[in-house]
Amino acid sequence: MHREKYTINTRQISLNVVQTEIDSIRRKNISKTGLRIFREGLVGCAGAIGKYREEDLLKRAISSLQGNIPYDFKLSKDISRSVDLRQKFIDEKYVAEEFAIFLENIRKEQPDFIFANKINLTEEEHRIHNDLGLDLQFADRVLEVGLLFKEKTSVNVMDGFVGFWGREYDRNLGLEEINKICTAFQNKVDLPKQKKLPVIFRTGDRVPFIKFLKDLDGNSYGSNSSLFSGKIDSKMFSEDFTLYQNRKATDTLLTPFFDVEGSINPDDRYALVKEGVLIGPFTDKRAASKYQLPLTGSAAGEYDGIPTIGSPQLTIKESEKTAKELLEGEPGILVMMASGGDFTPQGNFGSPVQLAFLFDGENIIGKLPELKISSNIYDMYGKDYIGVSKDTIGPLNNEKYLMMRMDVSKM
Amino acid sequence: MFTYPKDLYTDIRIEEVFETKIIYELGEIQELKTRNHKGAFIRIFDGEKWYYSATTDLENLQEEINKLSAYGTPNKNINQHRVINGFEVHKETLRKYDNERIYDIPMKNKQDLLTSYFPIVDNNPTITYWKALYNDKRVVKNFYSSKGSEISYDSQWAGFAISMNFVKGKNRFTESFQKASDSFEDLLDQQEKCKALIKKCEDFVENARPVVPGKYTTILAPAVAGVFAHESFGHKSESDFMIGDETMKKEWAIGKKVGADILSIIDDGGILQGGYLPFDDEGTQGKRTEIIKDGILTGRLHSGTTAASLEESLTGNARSINFEFEPIVRMTNTYIDQGTRRKEELISEIQEGIYIESFNHGSGMSTFTIAPALAYYIRDGKISEPVNISVVTGNVMKTLALIDGVSDKVEFASFITGGCGKMEQFPLAIGFGGPYVRVKEMEIQ
Repeated sequence: MHREKYTINTRQISLNVVQTEIDSIRRKNISKTGLRIFREGLVGCAGAIGKYREEDLLKRAISSLQGNIPYDFKLSKDISRSVDLRQKFIDEKYVAEEFAIFLENIRKEQPDFIFANKINLTEEEHRIHNDLGLDLQFADRVLEVGLLFKEKTSVNVMDGFVGFWGREYDRNLGLEEINKICTAFQNKVDLPKQKKLPVIFRTGDRVPFIKFLKDLDGNSYGSNSSLFSGKIDSKMFSEDFTLYQNRKATDTLLTPFFDVEGSINPDDRYALVKEGVLIGPFTDKRAASKYQLPLTGSAAGEYDGIPTIGSPQLTIKESEKTAKELLEGEPGILVMMASGGDFTPQGNFGSPVQLAFLFDGENIIGKLPELKISSNIYDMYGKDYIGVSKDTIGPLNNEKYLMMRMDVSKM
Repeated sequence: MFTYPKDLYTDIRIEEVFETKIIYELGEIQELKTRNHKGAFIRIFDGEKWYYSATTDLENLQEEINKLSAYGTPNKNINQHRVINGFEVHKETLRKYDNERIYDIPMKNKQDLLTSYFPIVDNNPTITYWKALYNDKRVVKNFYSSKGSEISYDSQWAGFAISMNFVKGKNRFTESFQKASDSFEDLLDQQEKCKALIKKCEDFVENARPVVPGKYTTILAPAVAGVFAHESFGHKSESDFMIGDETMKKEWAIGKKVGADILSIIDDGGILQGGYLPFDDEGTQGKRTEIIKDGILTGRLHSGTTAASLEESLTGNARSINFEFEPIVRMTNTYIDQGTRRKEELISEIQEGIYIESFNHGSGMSTFTIAPALAYYIRDGKISEPVNISVVTGNVMKTLALIDGVSDKVEFASFITGGCGKMEQFPLAIGFGGPYVRVKEMEIQ
């Protein structure tokens, strides 16, 4: 019998913003623990929120072996690694005070707008350890400023979203980010005449990745349910397109370098598509074993649950070019909000774009009307793929620009 | 019970959750667990700001209250503050499910419920992958406030979902059969309905072709009409976006014409659906709110803060997803009210249009979206060939005015997976439904 324990501690200060002022302050300090027991090819699990008695947890985990849940995979072992990314870039005690000043500045500098939503300072600690010598620990501390904005004269619930999130903070740089968007928002511009235009997403936007998240799932791929099933080693996309399942600290936030089964990868990432060629889907131990696929370390699960295949962070290998260089003088459509779009099973893509700006690679020029965009997964990352910039979308963000040509028209 | 800090408003919400989760994948068990945990959310208000704490340390709640109160500034007139003054006070125990707890039904019965579907999906060559999920959740909430509320109530919701991937040649399609209720008995004997859905999906995966994009007259099935009501106008009726916003107050004045004459939308936490809510998370009793009546804006959804700000009555819509979060304005069970016409009549009048039977997801701001699953062309007044659609979209206000037919029976969507998301809080248990709804023109991609 083997034991494995996964713990997550979350500490958070959350400021709720209403009418560009702090309306409430929430403090959270929650611990969640899951204990897994492995015996004779079966797994049992029990969990606790907050304080618990070790012997009770063990008793419940052993008892849950009666569920006869098979788990006959090699447990991760003999690895010890600890990564602590926490930096004291802002003192917890002064968060409310600092952001009261920050919001006061916004009120002065953007009197035509109202801002709302959340400013969170979140600290997370994750640890997985077992009696086979596995001990992986990760800690991160991230500031997320995510503000919905609307013009005071607007009849919309909200007009857009502005923010920054990362491991650093500078009041002036943050204000610059917000001012940049608000200034561009007030400059209404028309859509360029061409039917097909460079469309630019933030690399943290999940919309352009929806199809990969669904059809590169190991279970979907292995059971022949995926659009990509049977296409390992096939060239499907542009040679410039390399897609990673990514847990690298420089590319992600609040994401441990290990999955909930304790699997890790060299350089903390795994290429699912390399230079346009499909390498494989993302997998946990069960899917990898069932379909004879490489293990990529994409297990997820509730703190008290059995690991299952999760929805990993996907990133694309960046190019050697800046956004401006990638655009080569053409105007681009910078997508700020595209909610509700999806792919058909065949890979056709369509989405409304609730907020987009005209962008030249350096400057956000002006606000475009509401748009609709459409394409196909093979075109988006094939003949119409432009690339990912080497520059980030702002000094306080680690996201970059993802560009591809798409059909664009007004709603 | 508690010693409340002087000259501050305090409320405490203690939640105890009992949950069962079972998952089978391709017939092999993957998850089988019960969960029981407690947590508490404390709110303190000094008339200027709210201070919140989420904790699992229930033995030291008083200490946590005292600690949190140090952040507030004592206010002698706190009980006269318009928000606090407006709060309802109830001393009530409403334990509806104490004697019929689904959580207590033997695990074997719950497993048997799922395994009874295995023969249906396992021997079907078109279904390449399937997953069977069972989930039940019972929540007991105890609410106490410095105004004198002492409320204890419970809610429960259970259901199962059989998710299936269909493959025929190069065509692929994903759909799930779901059934949910507050009674375990209601979940039984649904196999024939599941078989009927599978038959429909087999036809769909074989014959569906990409839609020719454009604007079509569209019929929404009840579940789709429900998500449309929820996404299109339900979120707009959540009045937290109106606080202090003079433009919005004028734009969304009660009495304004906001939709076709035949359109009525209601939110009602008293209905025994996924959004059942006898008391909200501020201790306000659940109410039925007519949001739109005959195309006219007649109400909106409130928390204590928004009701006071807009000088309107409480509606019992302050909700949080669990003890880790503060209550914000959310829907409960939202539906389009019935009309007078028969579904067949609505379809028969369409020369060329689209019928959307089920959906994958939806979203709503000024523009709403629905990503359909099963969808069909309507030709010459009849439902015709299946069609693949990535998204149905439109401007909310324009679309509400384009509703020109509503059938005569409301059906609620029966689902256990997913829920409603707003800001950081997802998923919240809600219900939605409606009759068959016809929209003169919708943008189909």
